[in-house]
Formats: sequence, C-alpha cells, structure tokens
Amino acid sequence: MQFSQKSKEHIDSCRFCWMCHHVCPIGNATGLERNTARARALGLSLVARDAIEYSEDIINNVYECSLCGGCMKDCVTGWDPVMFTKEARLGAALDGKMPAYVEKLIDNIENSGNIYGLKEIDGVLKDAIKDLPETAEVVLFIGKDGAYKTPEKAAMAVELLKKANVNFTVNKYEPNSGYDLDFLIGAADEAKKTMTETADVLNKMGAKTVVCYDPADAKVFLREYKEYGINLDAQVVTFTSFVAGLIKDGKLSVKKSDKVLTFQDPALLARDLEETEPAREILSACGEVKEMLLSRKDTMLAGNLVMNEYMPKVMQEVALSRWINAKNVDAKVLVTASPAEYALLNETNDGSIELVTIEEAVLKCL
Amino acid sequence: MTDFLFDVIATELEDAVGKENCSTRAIDKITHSVDYFWLSRMWADRGLRMPEGDFIVAPKDAKETSAVLKIANYYKIPVTTWGAGGGTQGGAIPVCGGIVLDTKRMNKIYDVNEQGMYIECGTGSIYKHIEWAANEKGYATMHYPSSLTCSTVGGFLAHRGIGVSSTKYGKIDDMVLQMEVVLPNGDIIETSPAPKHAAGPDLNQIFIGSEGTLGVMTKAQMRIYEQPESRQFRGFLFHNMTDAFNAGRELLQKFKPSVMRLYDEAETATLIKKIVGVEKKGAFMNIAIEGVKEMADLEMKILLETFGKYGAEDLGSEYGEKWWKEKITFFYPGHMMDIPQCFGTMDTIAPYDKIEKIYWAMKEAIETNFPQARFIAHFSHWYEWGCMIYDRFIVDGKDVPQDPHEAFRLHQEIWNCGVRTALANGGVVNDHHGVGIKLGRLMKEQYGPAMQVFEGIKKQLDPNGIMNPFKLGL
Repeated sequence: MQFSQKSKEHIDSCRFCWMCHHVCPIGNATGLERNTARARALGLSLVARDAIEYSEDIINNVYECSLCGGCMKDCVTGWDPVMFTKEARLGAALDGKMPAYVEKLIDNIENSGNIYGLKEIDGVLKDAIKDLPETAEVVLFIGKDGAYKTPEKAAMAVELLKKANVNFTVNKYEPNSGYDLDFLIGAADEAKKTMTETADVLNKMGAKTVVCYDPADAKVFLREYKEYGINLDAQVVTFTSFVAGLIKDGKLSVKKSDKVLTFQDPALLARDLEETEPAREILSACGEVKEMLLSRKDTMLAGNLVMNEYMPKVMQEVALSRWINAKNVDAKVLVTASPAEYALLNETNDGSIELVTIEEAVLKCL
Repeated sequence: MTDFLFDVIATELEDAVGKENCSTRAIDKITHSVDYFWLSRMWADRGLRMPEGDFIVAPKDAKETSAVLKIANYYKIPVTTWGAGGGTQGGAIPVCGGIVLDTKRMNKIYDVNEQGMYIECGTGSIYKHIEWAANEKGYATMHYPSSLTCSTVGGFLAHRGIGVSSTKYGKIDDMVLQMEVVLPNGDIIETSPAPKHAAGPDLNQIFIGSEGTLGVMTKAQMRIYEQPESRQFRGFLFHNMTDAFNAGRELLQKFKPSVMRLYDEAETATLIKKIVGVEKKGAFMNIAIEGVKEMADLEMKILLETFGKYGAEDLGSEYGEKWWKEKITFFYPGHMMDIPQCFGTMDTIAPYDKIEKIYWAMKEAIETNFPQARFIAHFSHWYEWGCMIYDRFIVDGKDVPQDPHEAFRLHQEIWNCGVRTALANGGVVNDHHGVGIKLGRLMKEQYGPAMQVFEGIKKQLDPNGIMNPFKLGL
C-alpha cells in the first residue's frame, strides 16, 4: 500500500492524537478503541512503515468508518482522517484486497445500479413519477437510498413539488450518482466512470436545475464531480434549499402548527455542503424548532445505509444513540433530511417521538 | 502458552463477554499497545511493535468484568485495564501481554440526578459525554482537562486527574461520590454511599490513583454543578515568578478563583504568545472567577487589589477569554510537542515554601545535564497551601537519536534527573498524570518504607499479581 505524501502527513499527525475520540459515531456506538481516527491512523502508519502488512484485518478497520467527517470538523489543526481513509480504501481496491462484502456491493452496483441488488423500485414511487414529463426545467434526483429504502417518503417529495407547481421530472431510469462507489473505493476508475455516465444522462435531459433529494448525491455532484473534472451542465441544489426557496417565494403556503420539532442535520449536508439553515427555515414555518445536542455542523451521524449492508448492528446502535439526544431536547417530532438516516432511525424508533422526513413535515402543514 | 490453552482461555473469555467483544485481531492488539506515553509513540514511530495483549476484551458491566477477572485469576493471566488510552505514563500498556480489559462498553449514563447533583455512569464513558449529558439538563461537570474529549471517567479516576477549574471545583477525587469496583478476585463492591465520612478510611481514595493495580472501577457517581451566572477572566503579567507566587498565595487566603494559571517566562514567550497573543515579556497569569455575579464582581475587585500590590500589569479580560476559548487547542497536533521531538511533562506539587525552589532546581538540573533540552513550565493548579508545576522538557528532533534504544535511554535519563531533583527538593513523583510504567521505579525513592503500605494492600487484594503488573512500582 503506497500512501500519498499528504496522506502520510495526516496519518502521522492523527496516530497519537485522541482529541476527536468523543465525536466518532461508530466508536461511540461500539465502544471499540479501533473505531477511532487515531486507531485507524496508527494501524496505517505502521503499514506505511512496512512494520505490518496491509492485511484483511487492517482493511476491515478502514471500512469501519462512516466518513461522516466529525473528526475532521473537530480538529482545530485541520487534519483529515476522511481523506486518508478514502485513500486507504482506494489502495485496497487497487491492490485487489477489497473485502468480500465490499466486492459484493460493487457487483450489485454493476449488475443493478444500486448496492442492494434491487431492480424494481417500489410501486408507490413508481406511481408518483409515472405521469411526469420526459424533460423539464428541474430534475428531481431521488438517489438510490430514497428509491429503494424510503420510497414512500421519496414519493412525498414528488408530491410536494407537484403541489408547488414546479416544472419538474424524475428520470424513471435514474442512474447512480457514484456516491456509494466513492464511499467504498474512493477515486477509483469505476467510480469516475459511473459519475461520468451519470453526468452524461443528466446533461442530455437538459434541465437547468438538479434537485438532490439525498444530500449524499448532492455532495458527490458538488464536490467529487468537480474534483474529478466531470461536468454537470445543470445547477445542483439540495432538496432542503429548494423547498425553503419554494416557501419563501410563496409557492408553498405552510401553516404553522403547535408542534415542537427537532432536526437531525445530515453530516454530508451540514459539514460537506455547509448547509444548515434552509431546513430550519422550512421547519420554523411548520412549528417550533428546538435544537438537540450536536446540531448544525457539529451534528452526529444517525445512520449510513452503505455500512448498514455490512455492519447492521452497529448502524442500529448509531441510530439509537441519536434518539437519546432527540429525546433529551423534549421535542415531539424528529425531522430528517437524509433517506439513510430516516431509514435507520425508523428501524430503531420506540414510538415515543414522531419521526418524519422534511417533506412529510411540510405536507402535514399545507 | 500453547495454542490449545490459548483457545481454552479465548473461548472462556468469549463466553464471559460475548464473542464480538473478545478480540485477538491484530488491529485491536496494536491500538491497545500504544498510548500517549512518549516511549510507546517513539517505538511505533520507529516501526516497532509495542508489547501487546493476547486478548482484548470489552465487558459491558461489573458482572462481565467479574467473570473476566475470575478467568484471569484462575489461569494467572495479567490484566491491563484500558480506558481510552490517553494516558501519558504508559499505565494502560499491556507490558506483560495477557488480557487488555477495555472499559468503553461500560459507557452507559444511568442517571442525571438533579436532586443529588451527580451523574451515575459507567466508567467507560468518555468524560465529554457526561459533560454533554449534564449540559443537556443545564448543568456542568466542571472537570475540564485538556484530555476531556479523549479520556474516560475511569481513566481520570485511575490516575487522579485534574481539570483547569481545579482551584474552585477540585480534583477528580473531589468530584466522585460513590463507586462500584470489581476486585481482582471478581467480587463486586460498592464504596460508601457518600464521601467525607468517618466510617473508616475512604474506600474511594484507595482505588482512585491506583491505576488498575487493585481492581477495576466500573461505575461512578460524578458531581455536577449549576452553570455559573458569571464567569470573568483577567490576564496579568508579573515581573517575575516570585511576585506571582506571593500574589497567588495571598489571593487564595481570601477566595478561590476557578482557574489560576501562571506561565514562566519561557512559556509566555512561546505558547502564550502563539496561542493567546501576549507579546510582552514576563510571567503571564490567567485568572477566572465564577459563580453568582454579585460575588464574582466583588472577587474581581479583590483580585485587582491583591495583584496590584505585587506590581502585576493588568492585561484586561481579552487574553483570559482567548485562553479559555483555546484551552484545548494547545494539545492538538501541530500545536503540541510531537515526534520527532522527545518531550515529557514532569508535573509535581509542593507547598509554597518549596515550589519555586523546585522549579529552579529542576530547570537547572535538566538544562545543565541535558544541554540539548529546553525546560518550560506553567503552574496550573493552586491551593491555599501550595501549587503544582507543569514543567516540560523538550528535545528537538535533530538531537533525538534515531536508534530507538538510544532514544529510550535518553528519555529515561532525563526523567530520572528531573523527578529525582523534584524529590530532593520536596516535590512528589507526580501531580496528576500518574505513575504508570514510566515512573514506577521512582515510587520507592519517594516513599521509602511507606511503600510497604501500598505493597500490603496490593498483596491482599491481588495475591496473584495479575492486575496491571509493573505499574505504580507494584
């Protein structure tokens, strides 16, 4: 395994530093020392020194990270465990050392376009999009988690845009944004190839705006595509910022309820895309917003569906930890803006607080 | 150990804590072999493997901890308790192999008790997490060491840690009410329901600071406090440290600030200049006063009058506020000493009649015997009777041997020189980082025949000597 000079520098800085220990959602959930940025860095620093092999064991540890960026956000110096973790994943792919569970997910993407190996989207979502035009000014990009894991909620997003009379469509054969591949193998050729193909599809649709229902897709469109020089003609916006704009422009008339809401900031939205306020603008129109512990850029991950494919028990613990914060703030409704987080919070919901997606929250107040 | 016996023990441990919580994976062994101790870091930096545990086990509570210790006792296997690994003294390094008992699964927060003003939690809780739990209810733990985010409740108790607001709120041993402890034989005990009693010696104080040599603390009730109505800062610049010590001592006869930190001229000119922005020469001192606003205002008046008598220049509140904001920044890589430098903090404590003498003696001893080393210090925990020195030696990378054995030797020689000088002048082996493997050899030099008290307790509680061998000089 050959690390770049930049990665080596970050690895060596993190290997003896514990300062971000408390913000790792995986480490907090498992209580395992190896699930810390410093542990991963220490292992990789020994690999870089040829003191240990880049073995299956070390590689598995590299995949026990959600890339949520909590550690990076916490570091006042600016060291970046996400960067070297992604490079280590790329290295495993290039060396032909990917764990079997990663290979399986990549095979699924190759064969079916999504990590789940599913070919058909749910009927509810299919029905919701069937009458939409082939082309429109706005393309709503649902993403794979929304399409396959929370299709009813994705259908609500479609319904919301219809109610706002937005000239939009959804690609019935929506391609993969490349988020999953970027998560699993970083800047590998397969990921870039998928992203290039997806950019071609979107460009051919001729839309002016691509609205990303899932912050994960917005993140790769706005960051990795640019980094890899992949051109998207349309302007990419997040679903939350788009809906906030619809409310501001009076296209959605929202009636304020007496409900107390708290918002689970998706890490990719708050940290990678630095977007925290549009969701609050939306929810302030719907009710009273109370902030739970660790909000905005300090948010704590509540779940990742890629990892859920190979670490489901840990993902349940991650979601359960976040429920504790939501309950402590005395909110009646927890609102999500990420299909992955909705899916995992829903799976672990004991029913004491209502869980809704942001489009659902708005629909209830129309 | 034969492969057969290894499997026997592994399966028994798996039975005790669950298969997924008993690991023999290389990554687990490696990550539990290097803590914040400079020697372990240097060893890893040179591409060498530190001594590793054979089994990394993570019990979820006292019952599972008890089962692990019973197995360890039966097979006479060493047990090294690991909190989060942020210790500087090598106390969590499994130098004899065996079992590493990681406490972090014992991270449950059982109760934020607003009536009793404490949080009951597993000792594997990261301290910052219990601070968050207190904050969610409007309270604070007031335990703010630089390692707040990196260390567990048990880790702080194990080496008697301290935070920056110690003058008002005390050390970790002042912040704990009751504890649950698993003895080496597996018995689960509870210390008395309240501290400060006359029902014999305080059991808490036997286990606090024992660094995993006498048992495993599994649950604790940690005090919480109301958030202060007012927290006010004031920075001062003293002409010399003698004036600062006299001013600090006089102030503490009148009231207790929360933070008191005096930096020697060398640290003022380096760290304080870099992080806080003080450009002037002298000894910088930061004071924080907190509590009810009316009282804090009065205390501020007394502070200004008292320090004014000793010629301290009043730098206003700006530097103090900046220091409070950046108090943890000092410890991030890039701001903190790091490999390839060789460094260490020889924190010691003494009454006011000795403390300055110790400082100058240590500075002279280090700088004379090791001209390649710099010696800097601050004085960060103050009491009515004395204060502690957080003194550090730093050898720049160019003067540190690349050969790990030579680097090891240099490190040990500097430590021997510094701590022996402290002892000779009325100091102690350590103030709040603990002893670990780093300073064990010097414990007998401090205690002499008094060491038999510790040895007697150890022998009674841990006759097989399985608990954290070669730590604390036991």
